[in-house]
Amino acid sequence: MKRTSGAVAVVSAAALLLSACGGDTDTPATPAATSDDTDSETGDAAAEETEEEEAPADEAASTEPPVRDANAELVIWSDDVRAPILTEWAEQFGEEYGITTQVQVATDVRQQFKDATNVDQGPDIVVGAHDWLGEFVQDGIVSPVQMSADTQALFTEDSLEATKYDGQIYGVPYATESLGLIRNTALAPDAPASMEELVATGKELVDAGDADQVMVTPVGQQGDAYHAFPYLSAYGGGIFGTNEDGGWDPNNVIVGSEETIQGGEKIAWLAEEGALNVNIDFPTMESLFAEGRTPYMVAGPWAIPNVQGAEIEYAVDPIPDFEDGGTTIPFLGVQMFYVSAKAANPTLAQEFVNTYVTNEEMQLALFEAGQRPPALISALETVSADDADIEAWSAAGEGASPMPNIPAMNAVWGPLGQATADIVGGDDAAERLTAAQEEIVGNIE
Amino acid sequence: MSQAPPTRDEANAALRSLRPSDEDHLEFGQRTPLWVQVVKWGLILLTLVVLGYVAQQLIEAGHWLMVSLTAFVGICVLAVYATRRAVPAKYLLPGVVLMLALQIWPLLYTVSMSFTNYGAGHLFTKEESIASIEANSVREVEGSFRYALNLAVPEGADVATGDIAYLLTNPDGEFFVGTLDGLEPLAPEGVEAGPTGRIISAPGWTILTPQEVNARSADLADFAVPVLNDAGEATGGIKQVGLSEAFVGQPTRVHDPETDTITDQVTGTVYTPQDAQWVPEGGEGGALPQGWRENVGFENYTDAFTNPTLRDGLTKIFIWNVFFAAFTVASTFLLGMAIALLMNDERLRGKAIYRSLLILPYALPVYVTALVWASMFNQEFGLINNIFGMNINWLGDPNWARTAVLLTNLWLGFPYWFIVCTGALQAIPGDVREAAAIDGAGPIRTIRSVIMPLLLVAVGPLMIASFAFNFNNFGLIFLLTEGGPFVGGQAQIGSTDLLITLAYRLALGGVTPNFGFASAISVIIFFLVAVISYIGFRQTKALEDVN
Repeated sequence: MKRTSGAVAVVSAAALLLSACGGDTDTPATPAATSDDTDSETGDAAAEETEEEEAPADEAASTEPPVRDANAELVIWSDDVRAPILTEWAEQFGEEYGITTQVQVATDVRQQFKDATNVDQGPDIVVGAHDWLGEFVQDGIVSPVQMSADTQALFTEDSLEATKYDGQIYGVPYATESLGLIRNTALAPDAPASMEELVATGKELVDAGDADQVMVTPVGQQGDAYHAFPYLSAYGGGIFGTNEDGGWDPNNVIVGSEETIQGGEKIAWLAEEGALNVNIDFPTMESLFAEGRTPYMVAGPWAIPNVQGAEIEYAVDPIPDFEDGGTTIPFLGVQMFYVSAKAANPTLAQEFVNTYVTNEEMQLALFEAGQRPPALISALETVSADDADIEAWSAAGEGASPMPNIPAMNAVWGPLGQATADIVGGDDAAERLTAAQEEIVGNIE
Repeated sequence: MSQAPPTRDEANAALRSLRPSDEDHLEFGQRTPLWVQVVKWGLILLTLVVLGYVAQQLIEAGHWLMVSLTAFVGICVLAVYATRRAVPAKYLLPGVVLMLALQIWPLLYTVSMSFTNYGAGHLFTKEESIASIEANSVREVEGSFRYALNLAVPEGADVATGDIAYLLTNPDGEFFVGTLDGLEPLAPEGVEAGPTGRIISAPGWTILTPQEVNARSADLADFAVPVLNDAGEATGGIKQVGLSEAFVGQPTRVHDPETDTITDQVTGTVYTPQDAQWVPEGGEGGALPQGWRENVGFENYTDAFTNPTLRDGLTKIFIWNVFFAAFTVASTFLLGMAIALLMNDERLRGKAIYRSLLILPYALPVYVTALVWASMFNQEFGLINNIFGMNINWLGDPNWARTAVLLTNLWLGFPYWFIVCTGALQAIPGDVREAAAIDGAGPIRTIRSVIMPLLLVAVGPLMIASFAFNFNNFGLIFLLTEGGPFVGGQAQIGSTDLLITLAYRLALGGVTPNFGFASAISVIIFFLVAVISYIGFRQTKALEDVN
């Protein structure tokens, strides 16, 4: 045992020494976004992350995938936020058609749907983000939804476009979401006209001791490509180029392009000014903003319930642009209803998504649950008329770039997230994004 | 031995109780008591009923190999427990069956999977990939209109088996009957239609309720009313959208079994099978998303050993992995044992309270504790740096991250050894210590030369088990650091990655999920752990020989 304790001492000493030498210059990098947190979860981020933070015990108990009820004639899987509302509508559908329905909560809808459907235990309908689509098509687990031209015309153009893969429609959209600037109006009464102004105001507040952070947005040790995208794309950069028919081209990665690097340099600048910070992840961001320790938060509608819970007076605006002409473009996420290709009850499933999800009342009810702008034009108009937030959110989403739904996107989140975290940590933007480009291209091949 | 010698009566009574009573003995030899028989047959029957239920489920799912295996287990249960023969097997059977089902079967399955390309885009058979491609390529024929739809069977036919027909209404309000043979006009006399023109009832037809339609999903999947052109060739089909609408569609991608190619009829591209995917002839453009599963031989293994990132990474990760497991076992054991020795002192009061408090970290689920530790290690906002006034980049610097992982695991793991050592210490007879004390050994010497050797015999095998567990301690790493930090401008090989977290990232993480490749890595890990455990067990055997 003596030898072991000796070894312990030596190793700890070595560890201390090494870190003293390497110190902070040794990049505060970290884990790849291997978890689905960054991608797709855009919508579910709120539910998932708060759960992780506040009720991990519950999470441990409830991450088990739902078990399909063999007696129900229409089974829908969704996350816990939407499930109560869906249950009401599913029940109404069941009454109208004389069948039994069931809405089940899945904690990780995407993975659990894939796993269950592969063994024919999946639901008939699943509710989730549009960027899962490419993977679902590749795995052969979703069916096209043949909406009539009249029905298609009821939806906003962007949201309908997001439901397409290879030109085919695979679901019915019901809400859109994108990042916006959430502002603590007590600290910063006016919306900043530019990122530069935002940073200046934030720094003044920090210097005056009224705030601790200039701005908060999730970065984390492993980075967060979703929340970094608005800056990366500010000068025309992005992730994929487009092919002839307007779809994303997985063979044309533009992460290392000049335009993206220019955006990356803005990330470095924001980090220098203290607006981006690798020590801030989603839960930390939420608590800093809720405690009033920062005037600005760049996040999506899913961060709002927590802000309301903390009784912070807030306002929503689009993310400001840069003064030198860089236009911040967030990702547009679309929430939609998919029909499983292995649905036990395909007719009823198609009937439900074609007649019920396209109904204004249902879209309004779902809006109440998620506070995201509805995808149905008439519902969006109704809601915007009496909800300033929604108007603001749809303004924030204007011009947003639909999140690529091709499976190759899976190869992007990790390396790109890590690259942005490294840039925030002080790495050279050009070098780091070029390396990420190589890694992504290598992963896709 | 301060007890009084037993009296004669007591001794006799003790002797009597030791001697087998002739009566009982005979009865035991002749027949088992009734209740034992009942319980025994009840258990056998229960087992058979459970197996029967399992077989039923398997038959429904069509796993015939599994059905025969289940039947075989049933026969084994009957043969072993219903007869008086094969007494050793009565003890061994449950263990053997469970070992085969829970250990050997997954192992074989993993090995067999490691020789395939199973993963995203390669999930099903070639036939299924063709079916999926064709089904997904169905597009509405341009310029066509929608029909209002209802479903029916001919009057008098059984709703569960009768030939299904579409009752259709075109936008002009004309009625049609669509069957597999084509579209026929339906005489409007007696037909009742709803506000959308949807037929509600028609003479000669029995309308199906939604429930009845649902029951016939399998028949409806292949049902479409062919649309014929003037030459009588099928150009497309009328297909239902839900229960009340039908559209005219046609598949834009069609498989030709003769040439084994898929042709896209819109773009004219021809796709040929290659590397388990449909790739366009001439190489222009991307492959179709749905590929199929096939055997790839040793490709996954050669990949694991030749990929440069992985090769360097694997060595680095392997060294850290061994160190992590070994250090964890050593540190948690030492701390656990030290506390157990302290708590074992007879003079200490309130032991029960201390012990319960010390077991707490072990009782809390790792999901909670690891996440809490992760937030405590935050450089700027974490409790640890704040309390001690430090500015250590715990989770961002490779060596500090490793330290953080080891510290957390020490906290999580010592209660286990505390419990084990407390138990083992009770088993060390007091006279051994007394003897040591009489021989003039101080406390340290007693622990080193007397207690430790005795303790190690008891806990040696547990240390190997603990090593094997920590070698694959996925939960801790994944929740605390997710394998990071990732240094050197890449996001594949993390500084605190274990082989198992790497395998997870490869299989299910960000990069295209590849179960075949992950299985190959798992098989490699299996051999590593097996070899290390084998060496370890030989070492403990040596330890026992000393005694």
